[in-house]
Amino acid sequence: MRSVLKKVFWFALAFGIIVQIFPRSNALEPETNSTDNLVIQEAIDNIRFYSSYNYQTLTVDKLNRLTADFYLPVNYSDVSITYSIESDYLLINDETETITLRTGDIEVIKVEVIDLPSVLKGEQAFVINATFNYQGDSFTKVYYGQIIPVIPDSFLGGSIYTIVTYGKMFFEGAILTLGISLVGTIAGFILALFLATSRLIKVTEQDNKLMSLIKIFFNKFSAIYITIFRGTPMIVQASFFWYGFGLFGDPLLCGLFVVSLNTAAYIAEIIRGGIQSIDKGQTEAAFSVGLNYSQTMLFVIFPQAIKNAMPAIGNEFVINIKDTAVLSVIGIFELFNQAKKITGMHYRQLEAYAIVALIYLFLTYTVSAILKYIEKKMDMKPVDLVSSN
Amino acid sequence: MSLLKIIDLHKAYGNEEVLKGINLEVNQGEIISIIGSSGSGKSTLLRSINYLERPSSGEILFHDKNYFQTQKAIQKLRTKITMVFQSFYLFENLTVIENIMLAPKKVLKQNKTFLREKALKTLDKVGMKEFQNKAPKHLSGGQKQRVAIARALMMDPEIILFDEPTSALDPEMVGEVLEVMKKLARSGITMLIVTHEMDFARELSDKVIFMNEGIVYESGTPEELFLKPKNKRTLEFLKRVSH
Ligand SMILES: Nc1ncnc2c1ncn2[C@@H]1O[C@H](COP(=O)(O)OP(=O)(O)OP(=O)(O)O)[C@@H](O)[C@H]1O
Ligand SMILES: [Mg+2]
Repeated sequence: MRSVLKKVFWFALAFGIIVQIFPRSNALEPETNSTDNLVIQEAIDNIRFYSSYNYQTLTVDKLNRLTADFYLPVNYSDVSITYSIESDYLLINDETETITLRTGDIEVIKVEVIDLPSVLKGEQAFVINATFNYQGDSFTKVYYGQIIPVIPDSFLGGSIYTIVTYGKMFFEGAILTLGISLVGTIAGFILALFLATSRLIKVTEQDNKLMSLIKIFFNKFSAIYITIFRGTPMIVQASFFWYGFGLFGDPLLCGLFVVSLNTAAYIAEIIRGGIQSIDKGQTEAAFSVGLNYSQTMLFVIFPQAIKNAMPAIGNEFVINIKDTAVLSVIGIFELFNQAKKITGMHYRQLEAYAIVALIYLFLTYTVSAILKYIEKKMDMKPVDLVSSN
Repeated sequence: MSLLKIIDLHKAYGNEEVLKGINLEVNQGEIISIIGSSGSGKSTLLRSINYLERPSSGEILFHDKNYFQTQKAIQKLRTKITMVFQSFYLFENLTVIENIMLAPKKVLKQNKTFLREKALKTLDKVGMKEFQNKAPKHLSGGQKQRVAIARALMMDPEIILFDEPTSALDPEMVGEVLEVMKKLARSGITMLIVTHEMDFARELSDKVIFMNEGIVYESGTPEELFLKPKNKRTLEFLKRVSH
């Protein structure tokens, strides 16, 4: 049963993405046809269709996005108009009725939307043939429109609708979230190597005054850096750099910058822990055969420390997938912000947030599983490290 | 001229003086065993010779030269005096052959093909040639220690310091390491060995040093020290360890 549900879910998702990626035919252009009869031409130029919602005028644009019943006027001054519609979704009422517009009463017939197409079918084109009759003269004009699916009331229907309609937005958001997290983690890692090293260097007796000062400077710098970035929320850091300085003039670059800086502080502590967890004997053994400090660090200590710290660093990547959601605050359309945008478009919150939660879960779960697999393959033994926000 | 000369060496950790004036001369090719009870400063002495510890006072002369001036000089000295530790400390991130090639490659900048040949020869000497591509964690203690000895040998040192090389081993592995060390001793290299293996010290050494409470309490040939110790403390110690 679960596997069937799973298949259905994947199929729906895949289908939604495909439907979104391949463009479908658009509504047809309205026909430019005219007649020699001036009275009829005037009627053609001036008649309007009206939506059943507040009797709004249906422009060409709105005719292409129909979701509800509408009215067709049966006459324009002395010109009488008859209609036929080709569509499985629309039905013309035979009886005329009167509606009251601001400009006065008019006689109309009602076109009912008897069925909305499902979201999987997409928009359905229809054709209205309007025949204008005046003193034995008649002319038929063709109008094209489309009837579009709307979000169903049920949660399941609403969810499927949301996935199919906005699949592309979710997809783009997920890619951006993954990209920012990955790049931020890698950049943060590189920066963290520098920070962790600075944090661990010690002034020795052989150093001259200048060297000691430089070492102390780097040491203090990285200590302060780590304190600040671990001690403040990333949402504040992002706002600070973007709204405070408009850094790089591009929220995406600014966001990447903030994520990298933030991650670096955490990974630096992880690497420092990793280095400290290496037996002092490794350093001494390296020294005892003549390697100097940097050679020892580079060829003996770092490789071991980083290998041990890799699970924790991978964990930072997973955390970043979730935490980059705060970048929505500076206007980056990563996954969460896409969901916010979608809720604003159809005023239904539950479905969009449920879907986005599932996507996050899917991303973090998959990435964790992949990382675990790599760890196992590379035979890393995790060190117990507390980390993360 | 002696190869290594230690003059009035003191070492204190805080207020606790661990070495209280060590005087020692080591000649080219000598095998010297250092014995003594736990905490008497044997490791500290060896570590000081390798400059892993900074002496509080006194001098260590190698070829009559004091190397404890600059970091560079210390590193240079360490290529001439290498060390083998009780807990092996093989580089966990490297394979056996990488372990022993790292220092000569980076420090002596020796040619790669030459180095490889030399590494294989050295591994052969300690009976570890077929393990060249193994990771240290897949080796037994005895095998690890033999690789550690190979690593120390690869620098072509003039002296090798051994700090209780068999103490961390299961009894059945002690033999294989001692065998390698005996072979080394016959090759003419100078060795300083801190050990609790009295039979081994007796059989192999040119000179035995008994350390007690931070000083060289008594020293002499194995016969002198083991059979006719001059001091009561030495006798007590020997009695204690002989069963
Ligand atoms: N880093 C250190 N800080 C403080 N005290 C130390 C340090 N290293 C060694 N000591 C102390 O110095 C003394 C001598 O230690 P050392 O390791 O040289 O003894 P040892 O003769 O090698 O003993 P063992 O046979 O147990 O190895 C001990 O009392 C030890 O506690
Ligand atoms: Mg010791």
